[in-house]
Amino acid sequence: MASNLGASAHGSSSRSLQDATVRLLAKFFKADWSGALLAILIISVAVELTTSGMSVFEPSNVMTILNNSAAIGVIAGGMTLVILTAGIDLSVGSVVGLCGALTGYLVSFWGFSPVEAILAGLGIGGVIGLIHGILIARFGMPAFIVTLAGLSIWRGAAHLSTGAKATPQLPEAFNWFGRLNPLEALRAAYQSGKLPAWLNGVSAFLDTNWVGYFRTFQMSMVIFIVFFVILSVIVSNTIYGRYVFAIGSSEAGARQAGINTVRYKLLTYVFCSLSAALGALLILGRAPYAKSDYGQGWELDAIAAVVIGGTSLFGGRGTIWGTFLGVILLKLINNGLTLAQLNTFWQMIVTGMIILIAVGLDLVRQSRSPESVRRFLAAVGAAMAFFTLLTPASLWLRAAVALHEHYSVTGLREGGAQLASSQSERLLSPAQLQALATQMGGSFWPTVACLLPLALSVVSIATKSRLVSFAVCAVFAVSAYAMATAGFSAAVPFLVLGAVAVAGSLLVLNAFERARKLHEIEA
Amino acid sequence: MLNIARGIGAAVIVAMTVVPAFAQEKTVGYITKSATNAGWIMINQGAADAAKSEGVKLIEVGPTFAGDLTKQLEIFENLVGQHVDAIGIAPVDSSGIAPAVKDATSAGIPIVAIDTAVNGADVTSFVATDNVAVAKVQGAIAATLVSDGAAIIYVTGDKAQSTGQDRYNGFMSAFKAARPKSEILEVPTVWDSNQAQEGVEAIINQRKDIKMIVSAWDGGTMAAKSALQNLGYKAGEVKLVGFDGAADAVAAMDQGWVQANTAQMLYQMGYQGIKAAAAAARGQQVEKRIDTGFFLITPSTVDTYKAMIDIK
Repeated sequence: MASNLGASAHGSSSRSLQDATVRLLAKFFKADWSGALLAILIISVAVELTTSGMSVFEPSNVMTILNNSAAIGVIAGGMTLVILTAGIDLSVGSVVGLCGALTGYLVSFWGFSPVEAILAGLGIGGVIGLIHGILIARFGMPAFIVTLAGLSIWRGAAHLSTGAKATPQLPEAFNWFGRLNPLEALRAAYQSGKLPAWLNGVSAFLDTNWVGYFRTFQMSMVIFIVFFVILSVIVSNTIYGRYVFAIGSSEAGARQAGINTVRYKLLTYVFCSLSAALGALLILGRAPYAKSDYGQGWELDAIAAVVIGGTSLFGGRGTIWGTFLGVILLKLINNGLTLAQLNTFWQMIVTGMIILIAVGLDLVRQSRSPESVRRFLAAVGAAMAFFTLLTPASLWLRAAVALHEHYSVTGLREGGAQLASSQSERLLSPAQLQALATQMGGSFWPTVACLLPLALSVVSIATKSRLVSFAVCAVFAVSAYAMATAGFSAAVPFLVLGAVAVAGSLLVLNAFERARKLHEIEA
Repeated sequence: MLNIARGIGAAVIVAMTVVPAFAQEKTVGYITKSATNAGWIMINQGAADAAKSEGVKLIEVGPTFAGDLTKQLEIFENLVGQHVDAIGIAPVDSSGIAPAVKDATSAGIPIVAIDTAVNGADVTSFVATDNVAVAKVQGAIAATLVSDGAAIIYVTGDKAQSTGQDRYNGFMSAFKAARPKSEILEVPTVWDSNQAQEGVEAIINQRKDIKMIVSAWDGGTMAAKSALQNLGYKAGEVKLVGFDGAADAVAAMDQGWVQANTAQMLYQMGYQGIKAAAAAARGQQVEKRIDTGFFLITPSTVDTYKAMIDIK
C-alpha cells in the first residue's frame, strides 16, 4: 500500500487525469441520450468544415435550428410518452393538420377571437386524444390500428371542414406562438429612448449585437425549451412519469402491482394529441396562413426523433432530453445540408445515412462490449477511406459515364434512330471530349492509390491486430499529404477524421479495462 | 304470332343494349396530383367545368397526400378496371407512371397528361404550360430586378419530376445568361412549403447580401415571404419572384412583397385537359401537345390578371 503511494508520485497525477477521463467517458456513454449528442457534434463539425462563409455554430443559426425544431419537437415530446408506454401514435401529423386548419378557419371565417380559436384547437386535440385513449386503453384495440385509422380520418376531416383552402394571413396574436421576439419590445424602447437608465447597458449590448445574436431569439424556441423542461420534470418527478415507465416495461406487471393502467394509458394518448395541437399552433406562429395539409408525414419524423434519442420502441426505456436531441439532429441535417449547398439527391442519401449512423452509434453504445466499439470506430475509418476514394473516383466515373453515353447515343444516331431532345443533350463537342479525357487521365491513378487505405481499413475492422490499426493510421496520414499535393484537398478532412477514429479504436480496449478497474462498468 | 312476338322481343332487347350504348354518357377519369394546393384547386375547377360543358361524367380522384406515386398507380388501375372512356392524369412522377399508362393505352383507353409529362410511354395528348419557356421568361424578368453580381436564392421544386426540372433549367439558362456573375444559392424541396420556409430562413439568416428569392412554385413564394417575415424583413427589402400566379401570391404582390410572377393559365390547363380527354373518348383526333400559355404578372399588369381569373 505504502510503496504504491510513494512510487507513483510522478505517475499519479497523469494516472488520475486518465482515470478522471475514463470516469467521465463512462458516465457519458451510460446515458441514453449520448448517442444523439455525439451525432450532433460530429455532424456540426463536419458541416462547419465543408461550408464556406456560413457557419453552423453561429448563435443566430443555432437559434434558427431551434425555432424550426419547435413544432416537430413538441410533437415528438408527446410521442415519447406514448412510445415509453410501448404504444404508438401514427395520427399526430393529421391531428396537426386538423387542429391547425380549424383554428385558422375559426379565427378567419367564423369570427372567433384568437384566444377562443386557440382554446378550441387545443380542445379538439384533447378530444381526439380521448377518443384514441378510450379505444386503445379501455377497449384494448391495438394502438397501431387505431392511430392509423386516425391518420386518415382526421386528415379527411381537416380537408372536408375547411374545403382544403388556405386562410388569409392570421392575426398578430398568433405570432406569440412563433415569430414574436420577446426582446424586440425592449430594443424598440431603447431606440426611442424610453427606457429607465439602469436598463441602458443591457439594451445597448442588445442593440449592437441584434442581427448576429438576438434577432432569432423567438417565441418558437422559448416555448420549445419550456415545454421540454416541464415534460422532463413530469416524467422524472411525478407518479404519472413513474407509472409510464412501469406500463412500458411490463403492462401486466404494472396492472398486478395495482396501477390503473387504463387511466394512465388514456392520459398518455390525450397528452400526445394535445402536444400535436400545440405543434399546430407553433406552425401557425411562423407560417403564412393556416391550411389543412400541414404536418403530412410528420408522424414518421417524430418517431425517428424519439428512436434516435435513445428511447426504445418496446417501451420502458428512454429519456425526454434524448428526444430533444433527436429532433435537433434531424433539423440540423436539413439546415447543414442546405448551408453546404449539397446536390438535392445527395441530400436524400446523406440524410438516410446519418440516421443509420446515429442509431448504429446508439446500438454500439448499448452493447458495452469493447470489441463492438473498436469495430465501430474501425468502420468509421473505413467509411472515411471510402469518401476519400470517392473524391477522385467520382470525377473519373462521371467522365467515364458521360463518354459512354456520348458513344452510345452516337451509335444510335448512326443506326438511323430518331433522337429525343434529352438524348441528344448527351452528345458532346470535340472540346468537351478532350476535357473529359484529361479529367479521366488526371484522376485515374489517384483513384487506384486510394484503394490501398480503403482495403487496409476494411481489414482492420475484421482483425484485432494493433499493428494493422497502426499501419492504417500511418497510411491515412501519408495519404492526406499526398492528396493535398495532388490537388484533392477536399479529401483531407476525411482522412484526418479517419485517422482519429482508428487511433481511437486503438485506445478502446485500454479504456474499457481501466473503466472496469474503477468499477464504472461491470466486469 | 309467335314469330312476330319473337321479332318484337328481339328488337326490344337489341334496342335496350344498343341505344343506351349510344346515349350513354362518356366517363372520364381525372387523377389529380394534389387537392389542397391553391394552384391545383384552380386546375381542378377548370377540369370540372370542361366536363360539364362537354357533357361527360368526371370521376375526380387524387392521392391522399401530394407526392404519393403508389396511390396514383392504384387509382389508375381502379379506373382502368371500371372501363372509363378516357383518363386525364397529372403524374406525381414522370417515369413512375409510365407502366400504368402503357397498360391503359393497350386496354384502349386514351390518356391525356396534364401539367407534368410522362417519360417512357406515349400519351394521346400532353396539356401543360411549356414550363421551360415560361421559366426562361421568369429568369429574364428576375434578372432585370437585380444587378449583376448580386446573390439570390432559388427555391426548387422536385427535380425528379419533369415540371421541376424544366422550371429549374429554364430559369437557370435565362438568368445565368443575363447575370453571369451572380451567385445562386439553392433551396431544394419536393414541392413542400415547410421545407422551403426552413431552407430560406437558414440561408437568409446567415447571408445578409441576398437580394432576391425566386421560387419554382407559389407555395415556395409564400414560404419565402413567411421566412422573411419571421426574420423581421419588410415588404420589398428582398425581392420575390413567383411562378404559378396563385391567388395568395397575387395578394402578396398587392402588399408589395412580390415583384413579378409568371402565371400559368391554371384554369385553362384543367379545362383543355379534360376537353381533350372527352374528345379522345369520343374517338376524335386531338393535338399531341397543347400549350396553355402563360401571363407575366407585374404590379402594372396585376389588375388585368385579376380580372382574367376573376379575383376581387
